[in-house]
Amino acid sequence: MRLPHAQVALLEAADADDARRIDALADEAGLKSETATGAAFALEDEGLLALSEETVESATLTDEGRAYLDEGLPEVRFYRGAIDAGADDEPAEMGPVIGAAGLDGAAVDIALSNFARKGYGQIDSGAVSADPEADPDSDPEAAALAALADGESVDDEDVLAQLDRRGLVEISETTVRSARLTDDGVTTLMAGVEVAETVGQVTPELLTSGEWQDVEFAEYNVEADADEVRTGKTHVLRQQAENVKDTLVGMGFQEMQGPTVDADFWINDCLFMPQDHPARNHWDRFALEQPAQIDELPEELVERVESAHREGVGPDGEGYHSPWDLDFAKALALRGHTTSLTARHLSGEALGELEPPQRFFSIEKAYRNDTLDATHLLEFFQIEGWVMAEELSVRDLMGTFTEFYEQFGITDIQFKPHYNPYTEPSFELFGRHPETGELIEIGNSGIFRPEMLEPLGVDCDVMAWGLALERLLMLVTGAEDIRDVHGTLVDLDFLRSEEVLY
Amino acid sequence: MPTVDIDPDELRELTGHSDKSDDELRDDLFSLGLEYEGETDEGHFELEFAPDRLDRLSVEGIARSLRYDYGDDRGVYVPSTNDPEWTIEVEDTPPERPYVTGAIVRGLDLDESSLDSLIQLQEKLHATMGRKRAKGAIGVHDLTMLKGGAANVTASTPPDEAVGDLDSPAAGPASGDDEREAVEKTITYTGIDPDSEEFVPLEGDRAMTPAEVTEEHHIGVEYADLVAEMDRVPAIYDSIGLFSFPPVINGKRTEVDTGSRDLFIEMTGTDQWTIDHMLSIVCYALDARGGTVEEVTVEYTDGAPGEYAGQSFVRPDLGTKTKTVAHDRIETILGVDLDKREIGDLADRAGLDASETDTDGVYEFEIPPYRVDVLHPIDVIDDLGRAYGFNTLEPRYPDVSTVGGRHDRSKLERATRDVLVGLGFEDLLNFHMISEEENYERLQVTPGSDAVGGGDPVTIQEPYSEDYTMLRSWALPSIMLVLENNTHRSYPQDLAEIGLAAEVDESTNTNVAEHRTVAAAVARHDASYEDAKTRLQAIAANFGKELATPPIDHPTFIDGRTAAVELDGETVGVVGEIDPAVLVEHDLEVPVAAFEFRLDALE
Repeated sequence: MRLPHAQVALLEAADADDARRIDALADEAGLKSETATGAAFALEDEGLLALSEETVESATLTDEGRAYLDEGLPEVRFYRGAIDAGADDEPAEMGPVIGAAGLDGAAVDIALSNFARKGYGQIDSGAVSADPEADPDSDPEAAALAALADGESVDDEDVLAQLDRRGLVEISETTVRSARLTDDGVTTLMAGVEVAETVGQVTPELLTSGEWQDVEFAEYNVEADADEVRTGKTHVLRQQAENVKDTLVGMGFQEMQGPTVDADFWINDCLFMPQDHPARNHWDRFALEQPAQIDELPEELVERVESAHREGVGPDGEGYHSPWDLDFAKALALRGHTTSLTARHLSGEALGELEPPQRFFSIEKAYRNDTLDATHLLEFFQIEGWVMAEELSVRDLMGTFTEFYEQFGITDIQFKPHYNPYTEPSFELFGRHPETGELIEIGNSGIFRPEMLEPLGVDCDVMAWGLALERLLMLVTGAEDIRDVHGTLVDLDFLRSEEVLY
Repeated sequence: MPTVDIDPDELRELTGHSDKSDDELRDDLFSLGLEYEGETDEGHFELEFAPDRLDRLSVEGIARSLRYDYGDDRGVYVPSTNDPEWTIEVEDTPPERPYVTGAIVRGLDLDESSLDSLIQLQEKLHATMGRKRAKGAIGVHDLTMLKGGAANVTASTPPDEAVGDLDSPAAGPASGDDEREAVEKTITYTGIDPDSEEFVPLEGDRAMTPAEVTEEHHIGVEYADLVAEMDRVPAIYDSIGLFSFPPVINGKRTEVDTGSRDLFIEMTGTDQWTIDHMLSIVCYALDARGGTVEEVTVEYTDGAPGEYAGQSFVRPDLGTKTKTVAHDRIETILGVDLDKREIGDLADRAGLDASETDTDGVYEFEIPPYRVDVLHPIDVIDDLGRAYGFNTLEPRYPDVSTVGGRHDRSKLERATRDVLVGLGFEDLLNFHMISEEENYERLQVTPGSDAVGGGDPVTIQEPYSEDYTMLRSWALPSIMLVLENNTHRSYPQDLAEIGLAAEVDESTNTNVAEHRTVAAAVARHDASYEDAKTRLQAIAANFGKELATPPIDHPTFIDGRTAAVELDGETVGVVGEIDPAVLVEHDLEVPVAAFEFRLDALE
């Protein structure tokens, strides 16, 4: 019969008459204890070994027990100190004895109580007298500690119980298995067993020849660390963008794209931003040096937009008391928000006239000449979204955002009335950070003003909102400094170790 | 965001709610849209203000809003005014700054904090509506230090009929038949040669000409730009002489302190509406401090520059305006049903007055003059919503059905990124802005050349720093920077990016050609051309494209180890081994093979 090496060794070590402990068999067969146990079960299944179990109490030293093993039991040290102080002749003062024995703290009480218990002497009114007949060298508790430390057993139940009470040993129960050769086992051994061949690697030859049925596969250390393999990974901010796109597409939004470099007309004038608005000075935005101007703007739209700026819209409308200049509108800049794409779509410039209802979004970069810090970059991804319908209310706007943010674990949104030049009513959105509980601004929203929509040729309601993707990422992942994530200063170890988002 | 400092004690006093705790006040302010930003050294609240409600740039205005919010005040309030005694005569003004307005406020008892509040209001109005004093600048003077009676005023000439630029009842004709003192009390707004006259400016210790002020006085230097282009600079005179040099600085003679009881306020600017409304806001604030507003006549002489020559106005113009709003529109925007009484109540609490018109279901709302933000009926609806309490509205998901979907380019980009990641590339996300040095020089590319990445730069007028002066014309320079910044990290480093690249292209409407570019680099001790091409082949195969790589030269790559990327016969990019000179320039000690091509070539 061919059996794996461990089973053969175990079988040969086992006895037909006495059940022997598997540990002992493992020792004899030169096997690891776990390997021997596994082999024993396999042999039991084959009917070659009979296994039995018993529960055994075993005692192990506690930290305190181990300490006394090195230093001596406190009462023994105290006795020796007393002998040195001559307390076997006449009573000695206790203080110096304690000092000489090197005892302090709780050890003093322990020493005193056990000293008397064991008959090492007596203590009377602060004076110690030691029994000259006592023999601390044969203290049974000290001997038991030493025996346990050497892995021997202690038969004296009383001593063991005393050590347990003193907290010097811990008594635990273990299951000990023993094995005995069955009659089949004896017969098999008599007939002869051979060690089956072990194989390191499953090979094509092994599989095609059928030899795999007769071989034993060498055991691996399955717990050992494996070589590192590195995956390529989508950038964490892109993953976040993908998740947001999935969510918005699921909510019925269609994606917009459009120019990064655009005329201020599309970026600001179409949004009813007055030309002398502080945000439109050249410091806050990235106006282009070269090229400087767009070639063409839709003429009729320009007229309508200019008129809205100067006169307002509707019978009661008022415009801004600000200058309006076509050259200023034609100046090129990196878009400061992706609402320029919204303006191009609403005007029909991007996809032609749009009939309500519509939902659109984009997740593209916007550019602001802001001071760089942990939450502000010169370039960031703006999530822009809008809904067009015959009639929309602020409740529809709130419902849409509540739904959207819930997808990212942000519930309990608060709406703070706010001002934007191109929306009215307008709201800043605040949400609680799921981990810190802090109230954080998570977006800006509103219903587009008539002064924006009328010139663009839209005669129904449009509500819109914007949000920095980076802000959402920070909320979702707890990232604290966006400069670590986005840009050429990124640490590859960060990208490699960052967890995936889903 | 701009902030305004408010003493909570003053707020308690002005609202009449001495029992409000700081916390309660902060909550009440938040519901007005004034976010608490922190505390100043003196324990004042620092509040972030929304730039629409310029009437809330002072503690007086915020208190007024709170009183409406608490229901202590209701409806429109207009301060009563006394008839004008003083006239501002406008002649020979600099054409760059033709307009002026003014008012007198009497009977004030200013303490330090109310004076501080006035100064803060003035500064904040300068910063906002006044566009840093360019559009409108405020001068506040102690009236008792002024002496009227400029010789060139003839009181017997009645002013021309007033033509208000607003359709407001208060912009009536000046009381030109008042013979009492009009002849005495005249101020002149004019323009002078900057070297011709001297006055002692505020925070100055000697008489200076306007030209000297702009060169030597610290405030003068700060605002010198505003008058730099003018041949004649703005100047205001009384019968004693020059006392103000707007928009730069006032004279010391008329300086206001806590002993000043009567104030003369003038505002000059480039737009009459703007300064008139800045004036209204200041008058409301001083009215709240117990002052009595007195009108001033503004007389533009026949030859005065600007739109109003020969006209005369009475200022301040505290007339209200009206907006007509349909009941239905209020309900559809707010998403709630309201009855007439509720709308009237909401208007009162917003500080507006609502009245029904002849048309059923249409209201006329009266708007006080400090509400410079109300341009359209929608603004009235927003006010009603705020009074109603937007946060009490129940969100509802709109009953609107649409079909969602991604843009084709975004789908292509995602599919390409998936293939790159499948090939083991770490996906990068770099800035679109870069410097010319990084984009061209350090990769040995000449701007304006035909090489991939050699397009003319799209440059930025006022870059944040010299690292971000242009839009990148290709993405390989960004990847090289990431390699350079990560030489301490383990190799291999296989990096890729799909992102924007742009160059000047006069054939497009924006004169900029933008495209998405696919760039990738393989950096390891044995990287070679083969490593780049094998991955490029895999990408081409995944998109069913025929790849050819005819040899070319490119300054970034090693000659003889560089090829054009041709997909289905069209040249769309470059592949090769990076020139050791470029590697050393980027502190790299391993070879790098790379490729870059247009994303749309995979379509």
